[in-house]
Amino acid sequence: MQDRRREIESVLVTGFAAAPLYLTMAVGFVPLLLFHGALTLVVLRIHRDGTSRLLPPAVMKGLAILALPFYFVDAVAISRGAFAASTHLILFIAVYQATESMTAPNRGQRLLTTFLLFIGSIATSTHMSVVLFVVAFAFLLFRELMHISHMETAAAVGREYSEAPSSRTAGFYLAGTAILGALLFPVLPRVRDPWVQGVTGALQSATTGLSDTINFNEERVTPDDTTIVARVWMGREAVPFFTPLRLRGAVYDRFGPNVWRQTYRGLRFVEPRRGKFRIAEPVGFARGARIQQRLVKGGRLLLPAGTYSVHGVPDLREGPAGAYSISRPPRNLINFEVSMSLNVRPLEGERVRLSNYPVTPAVAAMARSIAGSSTSAVSQAARVESYLARNFQYVRNAQDVGTIMTVDDFLLRQRRGHCEYFAAGMVALMTALGHPARIVGGFYGGRLNPLTGYFVLRREDAHAWVEVWDGGKWVTFDPTPTTLRPGIAPGNIVGLYASAISDWVNFFWDRYVLTFGLADQVTLAAEAITRARELMASGRRSLAAVRRMLASPEFLATLGFLLAAGTAAVVAARRRENAFRLLARHLSSIGVEVGPSMTMEEALRIVREKQPAAARELEPLVALYEAESFSARRDRTRLVQIRRRLAEIARTTL
Amino acid sequence: MHSLPFAFEGVVRLTKIGTVYLTFTVVIGFAALNTGNNALYIGLTFMLGCLLLSGIASKGGLKHLEIELRGIDEAWAGRPVAATLRIRNRSRIWSVRDVVVLSDEMARAAVVPLVPKRTTVEIPAEFLFERRGLVSLRRADFYTRYPFGFFLKKRRVGLVGEVVVFPRLRSEPDGAVRFRPVAGDEAPSNRPGPGDEVHSFRDYVRGDSLRRVHWKKSASLGRWITKQTEMDAARAVHVAVDPWKPRGTPAEAFEEMISAAATFVHDAVRRGLDVVLELPRVTLRARESQSANALFRALALIEPVHEPVEMLPGRDTVVFSLRSGDAGQTA
Repeated sequence: MQDRRREIESVLVTGFAAAPLYLTMAVGFVPLLLFHGALTLVVLRIHRDGTSRLLPPAVMKGLAILALPFYFVDAVAISRGAFAASTHLILFIAVYQATESMTAPNRGQRLLTTFLLFIGSIATSTHMSVVLFVVAFAFLLFRELMHISHMETAAAVGREYSEAPSSRTAGFYLAGTAILGALLFPVLPRVRDPWVQGVTGALQSATTGLSDTINFNEERVTPDDTTIVARVWMGREAVPFFTPLRLRGAVYDRFGPNVWRQTYRGLRFVEPRRGKFRIAEPVGFARGARIQQRLVKGGRLLLPAGTYSVHGVPDLREGPAGAYSISRPPRNLINFEVSMSLNVRPLEGERVRLSNYPVTPAVAAMARSIAGSSTSAVSQAARVESYLARNFQYVRNAQDVGTIMTVDDFLLRQRRGHCEYFAAGMVALMTALGHPARIVGGFYGGRLNPLTGYFVLRREDAHAWVEVWDGGKWVTFDPTPTTLRPGIAPGNIVGLYASAISDWVNFFWDRYVLTFGLADQVTLAAEAITRARELMASGRRSLAAVRRMLASPEFLATLGFLLAAGTAAVVAARRRENAFRLLARHLSSIGVEVGPSMTMEEALRIVREKQPAAARELEPLVALYEAESFSARRDRTRLVQIRRRLAEIARTTL
Repeated sequence: MHSLPFAFEGVVRLTKIGTVYLTFTVVIGFAALNTGNNALYIGLTFMLGCLLLSGIASKGGLKHLEIELRGIDEAWAGRPVAATLRIRNRSRIWSVRDVVVLSDEMARAAVVPLVPKRTTVEIPAEFLFERRGLVSLRRADFYTRYPFGFFLKKRRVGLVGEVVVFPRLRSEPDGAVRFRPVAGDEAPSNRPGPGDEVHSFRDYVRGDSLRRVHWKKSASLGRWITKQTEMDAARAVHVAVDPWKPRGTPAEAFEEMISAAATFVHDAVRRGLDVVLELPRVTLRARESQSANALFRALALIEPVHEPVEMLPGRDTVVFSLRSGDAGQTA
């Protein structure tokens, strides 16, 4: 029964190793369900019948032979990928080994397969819960390893003995391993892609709520998703000037049949200068900010409006419409720094074109009526912005619009829509007025996390606004009513704090686990060296202070006083010693121990036997002691005589 | 050394599981380094932590183990003898499991299932000594795969103890033949000693048994008189062992001769006979099984001499010698 239990546990460990694959979706559900279904059957067979066989051995061998050609078919035609096909093969091998577990001693091989599944699971997972999985797997693995170790020792000595250690010991070693692992994690070398480039990149499934196009031919969806897209740190003095934040991610400047698109042609790499990528000329108040961003397809960067310099990215590509991206994005998140100013001017003359939106006479008439007598682009844009915000109804969720409509429909008939319609409508009106304008997609708002001091932008904060060319620079306008923009709605205090705590945990995971890289290691090492130096300097200062204190007259005077007081106390204590103690101490010095129940007469008798000469010297003193002890009248002179005589004896002995 | 499948020289050896584990750690390390995937780094740090802890735990556990041998009263060459190994774990942190104890003198490996931290355990062990003599136990080896079986660790510790190993007993049942002439000799020995017949009387001295007091004579003489019995010659076997090993005689022959003598004495004692063992400069007597160990101890420790030794064995003495002419024993 013990063997069955162990075998079942071993099969369950194998099954558990593949559990995260359901979440990472590295392989399909069907193979995983088949795998776990087969393992469940094996477990039931072991529990009920004591055997692990599911099919006759000949059939299993036939399947095993077919597995190899199937792998190639799978890789080429079914999964179309080496990873998924390899994982399928390993899943099959794991099941095959499990069915053989009770008949063939293949514990070591099964462990190897389990390891492969474990690697597959963690390699495809970036979620925080992978830590829990690793901990749980390590616990089960330790139990398994300890059992195997025990069995091998028993086999080596040729006899069975007591049961191997189990959960408590595994727990103990798990705690130790976790501590060592936590200490090792920050110091393991991190040099990405030293041998093979381009193996990894941004997760294809990662989303930020930004689409490649704004397609009004299909129903738009506003994401109700609290996934964090970016975290932004900035100094306290910068907050009033740069919040609410606008993180620019995409610029839609070309119009197709009811679709706004981004221009990709003309992408160029920005040359770094001293590690910084300068992209614009600052105008006005300027400050820096740090950004941690979840990357999207194409390595698109989310830069705050007003960014003129970027630092901490491997490279930087600038699109013709002013969107930025990196060519070799890390797997999931990136940390970088930006410099921002209230306004920015292009570094060199920018070729600006009027948008290709087909302005109809009705829209042109509407634009003229809104613009009124104002002539400059900025003042006309301000009037349009104000008009739309006041006279049009904002629908927060795109799906609530309930109909597919063109921008003209929005402007002339429906007069209700979400932020993309407001932005597209304003661009249409500005085009009608003859001013270049474009839609900018990104994230707006940002909630301050009071626990960590950064602003959090979530996927639900996705927003669209407008940039209008004033002749020298692009100026931001947002026709969406201010109070209805995303990232503005207040929450209850408990909810906010719960969200802040949850975000703090997430941030810790993102910052110190997922994105912990070589630069962080260098910083950590530098900080450690600095701390060590400070500590040494502080130690030296403390040592010098102690030396000064030891050499000070006050300290020496105090020390002298204490020594004198101590000596006086010892002398006084000696003087207070009675005659018995004095004699006992002397006898002890000549090798005769006076026990607690001995009389001085008995001690003297021993001295007479061992050292007659010494006994003769001591006899009068013992007589004095007895006279002192037993006479009715106390006489201190006797004690003085004893002390003096003992001192003389000690001197002559020396 | 009674070797086990895993006994080895050195202090540590990588096991098969350890090799697999190490290979996977390297693979994950490579993957982590190349991809920069910190989830892989988490797995890697766990695996490295586990590896490190495994080394620390097994070393820390073995380092604080002490061993002590107990309970070997008598040991015969060539015959397993049961003993007790007292193993103490002085560690404050590490309990140790699955420790195999092995030494040159052990008949088979002893296994310690568990030595909790700061405790002492006793385990049975079986020793096998191949040669007679004074055997000084010097060392024992601790082996363990604990905790995870990645490494087989060994630690050599001092095993303090001395055992007097009695000579190897021969298996051939020739005692009955040898003892016939001796057992049939009923002649009086005419000397005082253990027996049933009264040999003489003497004054009582302190320590004499009151049972031996001759009350009648004591009453008539006015002092205590005790009787002495005559040694029962029929129940006594005299054995002489000549330690001279002529030059050129192989050491095995001498050992064989000692074994033969020991076997003879052993048989005699087992039959309930008194044995008088005559060696150069010393004569030992064992009455029945009492104090027979002294005889075997003497036979265990006797060393060959290279000059002839003067020995005057009695008429009935069984002599074990390598002298030419009477090579082997006479009986």
